[in-house]
Amino acid sequence: MDKPPHRLPVFLNLAQIRFPIGAIASIAHRVSGVLLFIALPVLAALLHASLRSEADFASVRGLLSSPLSLVVAGVLAWALAHHVLAGIRHLLMDVGIGSELERARASARLILVAAPALALLLLVWGLS
Amino acid sequence: MRLNIYRYDPERGDPPRMQAYDVQPEAGDKKLLDLLMRLRVQDDSLSFRRSCREGVCGSDAMNINGRNGLACLTALDGLKEPIVLRPLPGFPVIRDLVVDMTQFFAHYHSIRPWLINDEPLPERERLQTPTERERLDGLYECILCACCSAFCPSYWWNPDKFIGPSGLLQAYRFIADSRDTASAERLDFLDDVYRLYRCRTIMNCTEVCPKGLSPSHAIERIRLALLQRSS
Amino acid sequence: MRLFTGQRAWVVQRLSALLLLVLILLAMLALPFASPLDFSAWRALAGGALGGPLIALLFGALCAHAWVGMRDIVLDYLQPRGLRLAVLGLITVVLLGVLARVLLSLAMVALAA
Ligand code: HEM
Ligand code: SF4
Ligand code: SF4
Ligand code: FES
Repeated sequence: MDKPPHRLPVFLNLAQIRFPIGAIASIAHRVSGVLLFIALPVLAALLHASLRSEADFASVRGLLSSPLSLVVAGVLAWALAHHVLAGIRHLLMDVGIGSELERARASARLILVAAPALALLLLVWGLS
Repeated sequence: MRLNIYRYDPERGDPPRMQAYDVQPEAGDKKLLDLLMRLRVQDDSLSFRRSCREGVCGSDAMNINGRNGLACLTALDGLKEPIVLRPLPGFPVIRDLVVDMTQFFAHYHSIRPWLINDEPLPERERLQTPTERERLDGLYECILCACCSAFCPSYWWNPDKFIGPSGLLQAYRFIADSRDTASAERLDFLDDVYRLYRCRTIMNCTEVCPKGLSPSHAIERIRLALLQRSS
Repeated sequence: MRLFTGQRAWVVQRLSALLLLVLILLAMLALPFASPLDFSAWRALAGGALGGPLIALLFGALCAHAWVGMRDIVLDYLQPRGLRLAVLGLITVVLLGVLARVLLSLAMVALAA
């Protein structure tokens, strides 16, 4: 076979590929992991401030009162909820529990729905 | 029926484009490949691979309405129109629906897809108990069509270094074979960030395998075998 | 670019995930008992013989876990060698910074107590 003359085209337009439910749960796991990573330095700073002085502690506590921080907290609550649920699913599948296609599809669907619900719960709990 | 097909002609050097076709299925046309054969009469410049027309040779894998599959096993009934056909995602396109499988087969070769056994040859054949034979079920049936690897995001990102679901299923086929004595070397070879550990258990591979096999399950078994060995 | 090999990193990620799961659940169960959490109670918790090491462990596991996870993402999406090394370096610095900051805060409280 002759060598191809120049660079051959490659079809890889993700918008034109139909992704199964498991792929959607997986990319969400990745996105949520990155969001949590970005939140880590902030978390460390908050921890530091909350231990430093009475006044800083109070301002950390009062942080959730602004609407913007509420949105940020909501996004992070979703990220944590989805990442942990998908993580548990991963760990179970790694040892062969629920790794057949039908059950993997069902659990992917389940965590995609359960994560926003759990996030809401976390948020309400955090505000109270 | 209406089709929309990815066209690329290397001689012309124009970028790939989509071409619309209309073709009338005739009595007895059941599978997508039947329709493609009629299309080829209409337009003999249209290129695709096919041979066995019954899901055995693995040559007519393509992306059908956004999912990989074999044209010869895809029923026309239930296909949404226009039927959109594109080459396997992530593979270099040689012409139309024909892709370059060189790298895919290089990965297959890299896992040494043959029995390795240094023990003296027995009088007749190397025997296997029925239970040992059963362990190969779900593995030996692979026809190397590449539907799975070309649907695996991890393979899209690292096609040169990640072996991909198809090659890993084959690797496990030999690790699981009681007549093969090279399991340890095979596992050594696979313990690598790229070769095995790019897999994120997305299961896109198992979703599209036209033979109903589960490469993700084979990968899970390889990881557990590696774990067992090091503990 | 090998960067911490195959199985070892995979195992670190699974073990740290398990540890994180346990610690996060523990924290969520423990916090309601400590509330209303005021400054001195919180300092006592973080400076305590149990709370301090647990928080340190939590962040240690977090950083190891996040490093492997972010490395995997970099190996997938960033192919040019220089870019890879730069981003991996940045991730490493950020995580070490997080760890240092948390350990310093905890040490500060423990020493004051
Ligand atoms: C809160 C801090 C956390 C951060 C910053 C974080 C970050 C990440 C990142 C970036 C990844 C890589 C994702 C990918 O490759 O697609 C990952 C993977 C993973 N995470 Fe987390 N994670 C955190 C907490 C957790 C927790 C609490 C669990 C517990 C179940 C967990 C379980 C997992 C598992 C099992 C994987 C491996 C997934 C795979 O191999 O594809 N993570 N994490
Ligand atoms: S595992 Fe299935 S999809 Fe993959 S190459 Fe083999 S037959 Fe094709
Ligand atoms: S399970 Fe692994 S091999 Fe299969 S599609 Fe997903 S990443 Fe690829
Ligand atoms: S033509 Fe042989 S597999 Fe479809």
